[in-house]
This record gives sequence, structure tokens and C-alpha cells, in this order.
Amino acid sequence: MMSFKQAKYDEPFIKDLQSRTTFETVSEDYDEGIVPSVMLNKEPKVPVIAEYDVVRHFTRLSQMNYSVDTGFYPLGSCTMKFNPKYADKIASMPFFSEMHPLRPEWSVQGTLQVMFELQEYLREISDMDEVSLQPLAGAQGELTGVLLIRKYFELRKELSTRREIVVPDSAHGTNPASAAMGGFNVVEIPSNDKGTVDLDALRYAVTDKTAAFMITNPNTLGIFDPNISEIAEIVHSKGALLYYDGANLNAILGITSPGLMGFDVVHFNLHKTFATPHGGGGPGAAPVAVNRKLADLLPGPIVRKGESGYYLDRSNNKLGNIASFYGSFGVLLRAWSYIKRNGSDGLKMNSYRAVLNANYLAKKISNDVRISHPGLKKHEVVASSEESGKRALDIAKFIIDAGMHAPTIYFPLIVKEALMIEPTETVTKKDLDDFADLIHEAVTSTQEELHKHPVNTASGRLDEIKATRDLILKR
Amino acid sequence: MLDYDQSMLDYLGIKDFEGLFSDISPKIRKKKLNLDPHCSECKLLQEATMLSESNRFDEYSNFLGCGVYDRIIPSSVDSIVSRSEFLTAYTPYQAEISQGMLQSLFEYQSIISDLMGMDAANSSMYDGPTALGEAARMAVRINDRKTILIPDNIYRNKRNILINYCAGLDVRFKEYSFDMKTGMLDLEDLSGKIDGDVSAVIVENPNSYGVIDENVLRVKNVIGDSLLISYVDPISLGVLKPPGDYGSDIAVAEGQQLGIHQNFGGPYLGIFTYRKELARKSPGRLIGETTDTTGRRGYVMTLQTREQHIRREKATSNICTNQALMGVAALAYLATVGPSGLRKIALATIHQSAKLRQIVSGNKKVQSNVFSGTSFSDVPLLIQSDEEKLNQTLRNNKIFGGVKLDRIIQNRYDRLKNAFFFSTTEKTEETDLMKLKHALEAV
Ligand SMILES: Cc1ncc(COP(=O)(O)O)c(C=O)c1O
Repeated sequence: MMSFKQAKYDEPFIKDLQSRTTFETVSEDYDEGIVPSVMLNKEPKVPVIAEYDVVRHFTRLSQMNYSVDTGFYPLGSCTMKFNPKYADKIASMPFFSEMHPLRPEWSVQGTLQVMFELQEYLREISDMDEVSLQPLAGAQGELTGVLLIRKYFELRKELSTRREIVVPDSAHGTNPASAAMGGFNVVEIPSNDKGTVDLDALRYAVTDKTAAFMITNPNTLGIFDPNISEIAEIVHSKGALLYYDGANLNAILGITSPGLMGFDVVHFNLHKTFATPHGGGGPGAAPVAVNRKLADLLPGPIVRKGESGYYLDRSNNKLGNIASFYGSFGVLLRAWSYIKRNGSDGLKMNSYRAVLNANYLAKKISNDVRISHPGLKKHEVVASSEESGKRALDIAKFIIDAGMHAPTIYFPLIVKEALMIEPTETVTKKDLDDFADLIHEAVTSTQEELHKHPVNTASGRLDEIKATRDLILKR
Repeated sequence: MLDYDQSMLDYLGIKDFEGLFSDISPKIRKKKLNLDPHCSECKLLQEATMLSESNRFDEYSNFLGCGVYDRIIPSSVDSIVSRSEFLTAYTPYQAEISQGMLQSLFEYQSIISDLMGMDAANSSMYDGPTALGEAARMAVRINDRKTILIPDNIYRNKRNILINYCAGLDVRFKEYSFDMKTGMLDLEDLSGKIDGDVSAVIVENPNSYGVIDENVLRVKNVIGDSLLISYVDPISLGVLKPPGDYGSDIAVAEGQQLGIHQNFGGPYLGIFTYRKELARKSPGRLIGETTDTTGRRGYVMTLQTREQHIRREKATSNICTNQALMGVAALAYLATVGPSGLRKIALATIHQSAKLRQIVSGNKKVQSNVFSGTSFSDVPLLIQSDEEKLNQTLRNNKIFGGVKLDRIIQNRYDRLKNAFFFSTTEKTEETDLMKLKHALEAV
């Protein structure tokens, strides 16, 4: 393995860079007399910094930030795959990036074509009937889905009785949070010993009070639920709907689909499966797809192809809109690029390799940490460090100190000392072997040794309790 | 399949790729992925270039605005947010290896709350309107009341988002009206609608008529202990009093104007600020300052117990992925243009809007002084023409603009039936204005 030492600057706080402004915005000095005097503010509170210092400041800060372009980033559930550079190039083409959202349709045909094609691709990939590109990230896709479900039952005059949304205990936090935000009571059901949905618990939980069951498949343990068709039947037999959290789609592109599994509503995380960059926390994009039952409820305009070109169809959107315009086009465009570049063969191969890597790594580490549930994995593997006597947190700090990103830790909640590892398809066998070696080293180190890490990173272990206590949110 | 793959499959004792999917029943296997096969990067770039070029209308003057604006973006901003250490990272879950993003976001919180005149900011929401939706939810969480007062001219899309974001709450929206003379909010009407059930009052500045609304300064005095939520244009804060100055409890904004490309609707930036004591009720990620084991200053995500990954259905919001990179763009933008630049940009905008009003004032078919209030960016003109004809005229004259008011606003006032918006920025030039004057002479 390469040795690792992250840049470690005593980078000043931005306000301490005060010098002079060098960037010229507007040359003319306009009179402030035009501003209604009661509203006039003499000067906005913004720091005064030379442009070159701004660039240097952020360049140095960036060097203190680990990224996919720096190295292996097996952060479970986040699909931190390589973000292709052609997509950056396309997203910065000025006649895409400079388009105002209220431009007349005839003047943005290229943009509308991209959106139309992306809708079609996502329909084909998911085997669903209609797609809205509007939602801005996974959680907003979920909220959209929940509101669609709400609207569906409202129109059927069943909303007053269908007050519950069921989620498995392995669900991502956004699932129950979105269900609650949409006004539903959340009913959590336990997973069985295989890590999948306990059918008896499901039969018990799903009643005529249930609006929907929200799951992801493969689930957050990386396991494909073999009973998915039966699950769909149980849910539908009670008149409820089935929601697909598409965060884990990367394992199954071209192999199966939410439509084939019997789902009614799906969101895609374009920033995961379709390789759009995560931006240090965002932006993302999460189109929502539905089957016929819900098609005319979808929010936002849908792009259609007519005789004289592409246009925005607003006729059906009973949900109004969930974001201002048509979604994060800059992100949609990157996903479009990725799908076109990879094509039917490439997308499927990516799923193959993502799954191969996850299973390979699962076996490699299985002597050092307990794999949460035996058997085939899909996009990721969840291990527990409990039996090694080492805390997941300490292992994570050991890993980052060696120049790899740590897995997601302490999630899913049903696995103690969880290490959730998603290698994705864009890593080499050597990356996986090196990572497995690190896990081995970590669990065979002494507790004392582990506690010393990290030392090669821009900062040593940080005191989170102090942060909460002092609550310094600005300076 | 490559030997490389085969050696890994051999290690697993699995024959081929398909063997990795034996857990998926043939009944639900996809027969065929019906997309074109892959194409080369070179071909993809050609096709993308061709499509983008089809959007190209070089000689057009731009008067589109209404929430999204074509403003100066310093090249440094693009350069900074293109750094792949920022671009290809994710949420800084491992703080020690992510100090760059954490410090940037802490600085964003600092600079944005200063700009807004507020105590604290979160590290970003999706966009302005969804930030407003979250603000309404936060207000209800704070005082558990059931009415939100909103301007009757609020953009349709914002209204829809408010309704959708509050669908799960037992909340009503009531509207207050506008003074048709000044174009400012009607304080009397607003105060008459205040009662013990009003959780919050939403005000906008500039308001949805594009008017710098002087009456927002007096709202806090007439709403008792209801909360004040302000929605502002951050560029306007180059010369206008910030929402903290007029008693806002929560203040939100669309941050697109701060160095973010128009991108046909996104990604943008939801700015979300509040009084500090409300922090525990607030949505979204927060970065806090702390120290490491050696006593050095450092940054971590904090108050995470409000968030979905810990609090699940009791979380203050479901937001997870946010708009961190756009926050960095806004921060880099503000730092680059500085206070003097921001002020000039805001002043130039107001001046261009005034010029626009003045330049078409001689036209008998156009009424440019729709309101006595000062326009910021968006200037409504009453034009004696139907929409289609006007659009055709504008197209013939190579102008983008003229968004019909009742397309974006659920209009209550007869007088504004023929209102169309023309918006300016610091990039609007004399020649653009002359072109518009000429075009409107032809309606
Ligand atoms: C399983 C799962 N569901 C939902 C989400 C939420 O997606 P987003 O972060 O885009 O809102 C995530 C991602 O963090 C996830 O991993």
C-alpha cells in the first residue's frame, strides 16, 4: 500500500484573510439614492478578500478533503463510484448550463430532448410507466412518493383510514422520516434471521389501515429479498401500495427491476447508480417513476415529444410541484451522459462487477469480521466488528489514516458495530485486497493502538461532544 | 468477461457472472435491457455538443428572471467548485479526512448568516422554495399553531411546494393582500388576519411583484408572537436591509444568484437561517467548531440528533443529501465579489430596472409604472396585447422575456391581467433596453 499523509494546513478562517477586493463586477458607480431610504443598508457584511487569495484558500482546503478521485471510497449505501469526466465536460457546456428555466420551449429543444430521453431510459431500466424528473435528492424522491401515495388514497376517499406506512427495521432513516413528513404513522417491522422481510410480521403489520410498504431491494444489508413477489402480493392484497427506495439499484441494472418485482412507486438516486458526483454532500437528483395507477398524479411537467418538437406537458400533475422547475437539470444531464456512454451492455456489466466486488470483498474479510448474514451479496456487504472486540468507529479511523475512506458505520441499526461496505464496480482487485488487509490489521491491533488514529489526516480525532456543547455554528 | 473477473469469480467458487444472481428468481429476471449499446466518449461528446448547440440563440437579449437570474459568475467560482476533492467527495461523515469541506461549510454558515443578518445558518437545503417549505414546518414545530399567513401573490410553484411540504401537518394557509398602488404588502389586511392560531407570517423582499417592499419593516410589530419568516433575494442584500434587521425568526433565500449557473432549473441552493435559540428545532445539516485531541481547531457535523439517520420518523426533516457544493459556490462568490461588488451589482440591477421602466414609458400600449414601489430585478409591465402575439413580437425582435404574471402567480387582481415580467440584472445593457423599447413599439 501507498503511504498516506493528507495535507495539513493551519488554514485561516475565511474572515481572517481580509485584504482588498480585486475582482471587478460592475465598473460604473451607481447612485444609492435610488434605494428607498428606509430599506437602505450601507454595506453588506461580506469579507474583503483578493480573488487570488480566495482561490488559494479553497485550493488548500480542497487538499484537506478526501474524495473519490483521491482513492477507494467504500461508503456503504452511497455508491461512491468513479464520476466520469465526460459528464463534467457536458454539464459545463454553456448552452446547457446557461439556460434559464423559463426559456420558451422552442429555444431549448436540446435540453428537452435530454430530459425526454432520460425519462425513457429510466422507464426502460425500471419497467415503470411514467417518470417525473423533478425531485432533487433521494429523500425528496421519497417524500414525492409518499405524497403520491397520499394523493392516490385521497382521490379514492381512503386517506382517512389508511394512516400507516410500514418500513423494515433495516430501512434507511430517510424512509421513516419521509413517511412521517407526508403525515403517516410509521410502523416498523423486524427483519428475519436472514436479514430479509419477515413475511409473518409483514402479514400482521399490513392491514386495511396501511397506505404503503417502503423497502429497498437489495436491502441495506446488501441482500436481495427472495420473497419480493410474495411481499408485493401481501401488500397489494390489502389494497396498499409498494414503494421502492432506489438507492441500491446499482446491483441490478438490466438484471431485474422494480417494475418486475411489483412496485408501484420508485425513486432513483442519480448521484449513486448513475455516477453523478456527490459534491461533498450534494447536489443529487432523484427522479420518481410510477405505474399506471399513479401516472397522472406525478409532480412537475413531463417532457413529451410532439409533431413540432419536445414540449413540457403540465396536464396531469395533480401533485403540483415539489421543486421549482424541472429538477436538477445539471445532474440529470450527467446521468443521461452516463447511460448513453455505458449503454445496455455497459450498465449490465457495471452491475455484474459491482456485485462481484462486493462478494469478493465479503469473502476476503470474513475471517476478520463477522459478515452480518451469510450468502450472496448484491451491491454491498455489512460486517460486524463486535466479536473482534473492536469498535467500528476505531476501525474507521484506522482505515482513513491509511488513506482509504471508511465504510459507513453503525448503519443499518440492526447490526451491532456495523461496517457497511460498498466497493462499487470502479475499483481494482488491488484496492479490495488492500482494504481487506487494513481490516485485518485493524482487528488484530490492540485497542490502545487503534485509539491513536488518525494521525496522517488533516486533523486528529475531533471532539463531537464539545461541538454539541459549545454549539459554535459561525464565527 | 476478462481473466481479471474470472480470477475473482474463481476465488468465490462461482462459475460466471450470472452465478452471482442465483438469488433472483427467473420469474422476475429482465429479459432484455432495451437501450442502445454503449457509445464511445468521442461520439457522446459530439452528440452532446450538437444538442447543446441547438439551444444556442446568440443574438438574443435576455429579460428572463422571476427567481432565477443570469448574473456575473467569476471564473474563480467555477474553478473552485470543479476541484474534484470537493466535487467527488460526499457528506463529511469521517470528519478528520474531510476538513476541507467541513471548514468550507462552516465558513458558508458564517458568511451567509452575516449576509442575512441572522444568528445561524444550516449548511444548505435543496433550493429557495423548498427551504421555505421547511421554514413553515419548523414554525409549526416551534409553536404548534395551525395557520400560516402567506402573500396572495406568491409564485404558484412556491405555493405548491408549501402545500406539499405541509401536507402531513394539520395546517391551513391564509393569504394577505397587496396594495395595488405601491405594490407592497397591505399591512392593515395582514394585521387583521393575525390571531392566536397564526404560527407564522411569510413575507418576501423583493416581493413577487419585484417590488422592494418597505412594509416588511413593520410586519414584526403587528404579528404578536407569531413567527416571521422572510424570503429574500440574496443579491438585493447588497443594498437592502437584511431580514435579521426587521425581526425575522427564520429567513430563507434562493442562492442561485450567488455564483450558480441557471442550469435550466437546478441544481440551486436553499439558504436557511434563523435565530440561534431555534437551532434544535431546525432542519438540515449543521457544521460546528470543535478541537481535536491535540487541541487544534477543527470542524464536525453537529446536532445530528435532529436528523433522519438518528431520529428517523421524529427527525426535523427527511433531508440527507443536500446542496453542499452549491454552498461552496455561494461562499466563493461572496468572498470574490466582496461587499463593494455585491453592492454594485445590486445597485446596477435597480438602476437597470428603473431605466427599463423609463425607456418604455412613452409607449401608449405599455404601462410601465404599474406600482409606485421601486423594482429590484423583476419589472411588471401592463401591455395591451395577448400573450401569443407578444411572444411572437418578442421572438421576432430576438428577446427572451415577458413572462405573463398570471402564469407564475395565481393572480387576484383584474388590473394585473395583462402584466408581463421583464427582468434585469447587472448584465443588462443599454442596447438590450433599446431593443426592448423598439420591440414593444411593435405590439
Ligand atoms: C438506502 C438509502 N435510502 C435513501 C437515501 C436518501 O437519499 P438522499 O441522500 O439522496 O436523500 C440514501 C442515501 O443516503 C440511502 O442510502
